[in-house]
Amino acid sequence: MTTWRVLTRRPGRVIGLLILALFALMAVFGPYLYAGPLAVDPNAIYSAPSAQHWLGTDFAGSDVLQEIVIGARYVLETAALSALFAAVIGTLVGLVAGYHRGPTDSVLMRLTDFVLTIPGLPLLIVLSTIWSFGQPYEMAIALGVTGWGGVARAVRSQTLSLRERGFLEAARGLGLSSRHVIFRELLPNLAPFVAMNMLLAVIAFIGAEVALFFLGVVPFSSSNWGVMLNQAVFSGGAMDSPAALSYLLAPLLCILLITIGIVLFLDAVDELFNPRLRERS
Amino acid sequence: MTRLHRLRAPLALTACAGLLAACSSGGKTSSTTLVYTTVSATNPITAGAPMNPFNASGNYFPGFDTMQLGFDKQNPTNPEDFFPAIAASWTITSSGITVRLQPGAKWSDGTPVTPADVKLSMAIALTQGSATVGAGFLTQGLDIGSVTEVNSSTIQIDQAAGGSNLDFGRLVLGQYIVPAEVYGSLVPSTVWDTITDLTSTDAATANAAVTKLNAIGKIVSSFSPAKDVSAGPFVVARINPGSAELTRNPDFYGVAKIAPSEVILRHYSGNSDIWGYMKSGELDSAPYTSMPTNILDAVEGAGYSRIDTASYVDAAIAFNESDAPYDQTTVRQALAYVIDRQAVTKVGEPVGGTAAADLTGMVEAATKQWLTPAQVSSLNPYAPDQSKAASLLTAAGFTKSGSQWLLPGGTPWKITLQTVSGFSDWNAAATVISSELDAFGIPTQVKLTSDFATYKTDMAAGKYAVGFWLIALGPSASAAYQRLYGQDDGYTANADGTVTHSDGGGNWQHTPTGYTVGGAPIDPGQLTAQLATLSSTAARPVVQQLALATNAQLPVIPIWDYTAVDFTYDKRFTDFPGPSSPDINGLMYDGPGVWMMQGYVKAK
Repeated sequence: MTTWRVLTRRPGRVIGLLILALFALMAVFGPYLYAGPLAVDPNAIYSAPSAQHWLGTDFAGSDVLQEIVIGARYVLETAALSALFAAVIGTLVGLVAGYHRGPTDSVLMRLTDFVLTIPGLPLLIVLSTIWSFGQPYEMAIALGVTGWGGVARAVRSQTLSLRERGFLEAARGLGLSSRHVIFRELLPNLAPFVAMNMLLAVIAFIGAEVALFFLGVVPFSSSNWGVMLNQAVFSGGAMDSPAALSYLLAPLLCILLITIGIVLFLDAVDELFNPRLRERS
Repeated sequence: MTRLHRLRAPLALTACAGLLAACSSGGKTSSTTLVYTTVSATNPITAGAPMNPFNASGNYFPGFDTMQLGFDKQNPTNPEDFFPAIAASWTITSSGITVRLQPGAKWSDGTPVTPADVKLSMAIALTQGSATVGAGFLTQGLDIGSVTEVNSSTIQIDQAAGGSNLDFGRLVLGQYIVPAEVYGSLVPSTVWDTITDLTSTDAATANAAVTKLNAIGKIVSSFSPAKDVSAGPFVVARINPGSAELTRNPDFYGVAKIAPSEVILRHYSGNSDIWGYMKSGELDSAPYTSMPTNILDAVEGAGYSRIDTASYVDAAIAFNESDAPYDQTTVRQALAYVIDRQAVTKVGEPVGGTAAADLTGMVEAATKQWLTPAQVSSLNPYAPDQSKAASLLTAAGFTKSGSQWLLPGGTPWKITLQTVSGFSDWNAAATVISSELDAFGIPTQVKLTSDFATYKTDMAAGKYAVGFWLIALGPSASAAYQRLYGQDDGYTANADGTVTHSDGGGNWQHTPTGYTVGGAPIDPGQLTAQLATLSSTAARPVVQQLALATNAQLPVIPIWDYTAVDFTYDKRFTDFPGPSSPDINGLMYDGPGVWMMQGYVKAK
């Protein structure tokens, strides 16, 4: 009940939730909604939005809306998995480093520094020459494994602060194992922070994966949003002619909507996980 | 202060601004400069790269500052048909070529072009990727055995003993000629002895020669001359990150024909840059640039005229016939009936492509030149016909379960169609082909290889059963059929004139060694090897046999003939070559520098 009240307190939060729900449904049911191969029509290349094609057509005369809906699964699954991988690795490293301090902290933080210094996009471009990234989990592993540095640093800071609190001193005083203290005492207290980081990471990972496809260094799939941007700009001439504009704007609009949805929804999540905010309102 | 005095400053500023605008706008002329602006078809500008035609990313511009003995007219039946350049004339015999230099040909430093320059350039050519031993050396075609200075303006260039390649003259004429004064110090005086050693019967000597030549090649390709020394109509004045500026070479032998006093070659990182230049009317001409129809409309709307010429390249679907079921002719024929080449071309290469019509392994223009009208009309056009495809497959033992075709063994037939990342025309075409095959009942997945170098390596290793490929690389029929029945198909032409076939090492096509044409058996590899040594008259029946066999057997399914679509802009210059100009294919292939040498392009 509290959750519902928090969610409906501001219209923006409801809008954010609705946007996220829409895209989640698109990712889950989209491929079933448009079963079968993507139809092509060489006589309707880059046609303008119409009753038949709400968002127009692409370079092969295929329906842009259909591509957006079908393509949502790869984009969102990849971003969600990437955020999950980054959160799991980053949280684990941050918790252990912050709790143990000393040499463990030094080693793990130098490792984190190393990961943070890796130039993500160039590395992924190099990786794409040996890895096809045909499945979302493949792309997610690459993004997640190179993207956990920031989470680790943030979680370590939070852990350093929490470990001085009384309940943790009590836990240590009772002789509970480090594993128990980290996973049963620290982690639940950090979960809201990690969850919010995860949601923000989803935005970043959508940008990263779409950029890779946009650059044309990873597999071509006409229903991928990044490939749509690539085709619109480099083959369709969207920057020089209005014909391919709807094809260019459709995936951009989707990315923008998802970003807005997550930001609006985060406001509710923040209040849900922060009792002091709830008390104030 | 009088009213006039108050106006003096703004008037002066306005006058200065007007003067600046007049001098700086693209392609504008002033009393002293006449600037021709274009892009180099092959070399985007690479700031800091050497002005060296042997450097992979060098700043050199054929036809402008980089000269050859001649420039190719792209005549499919006459490999000796070239525009004169450094060579005023030449005589080709079965053993070599005699070249007579242009009277008065000079380098931009004022020194004459000599036979020594040509001799050195030929030696350098043999260090640039052509250095292989024995049969390979001869198979390459540029099998120069000796270069002799007949007199101060005549050079005799002979093939190595045993060589009889019909394309020898063509290859010699197409080599870059560089000044011995600049490049001479990079090449040891014993280089011709080393070249002779390539054909030594002693393997150790031959291999040592290859190593030496490759080492020289690396030194030459990394060399950075202090300044450009050109025998062409222009010479590089400066290279900026965004453009190369070339000025007219007053020492050029045909300088009277060259109207522009300056050439600006714009840098580009992709086709969209060239589209942008054209939309703003910045270029006086533009080479073939792949573009969609909406951009074509915009470019033509900006005032550009389009010139379409044959380009002697086909995009095709190739098969590895060691992978079932692609070893069956009926399967390949059935696929040809399913793929609507018109529709695929309309999506994949709407401006620079024409749907393949004849499916002979050559482009349509070449097919019409080699085959008789009766033979052309007898070719199977494989017009889209799903019922024919279905009956061919059924006859071959394929069955259908629901909407899905099953292999004769009963397993579902699925195709992975391989293409290359970044090849937007192939990828767009693959989307349509997969859609058509899906609809016919063969689920088809498009897979991409990250780059073309990897693609070629994987293709040669036989990793792809079905994939896009470039064929019909001409203009000669010999080159076109080498692509189908040459090294990629396991055939090797040996120095002693024999041809051997192997199923391993580089053979990824695995077509049969025997076809039947008109009831007579032929070996396509043997016939293809012969083409390199036959005159066009003697080659005609061989080409006809190969064309008919290819049309019937379909080792590849040609999808479209590339069309070279060039653009000219007549707002600042006039007298461009047009569709009715003689040798228009060659002119468009060679570019504006050669147009100017031929007397085209005048100030408006």
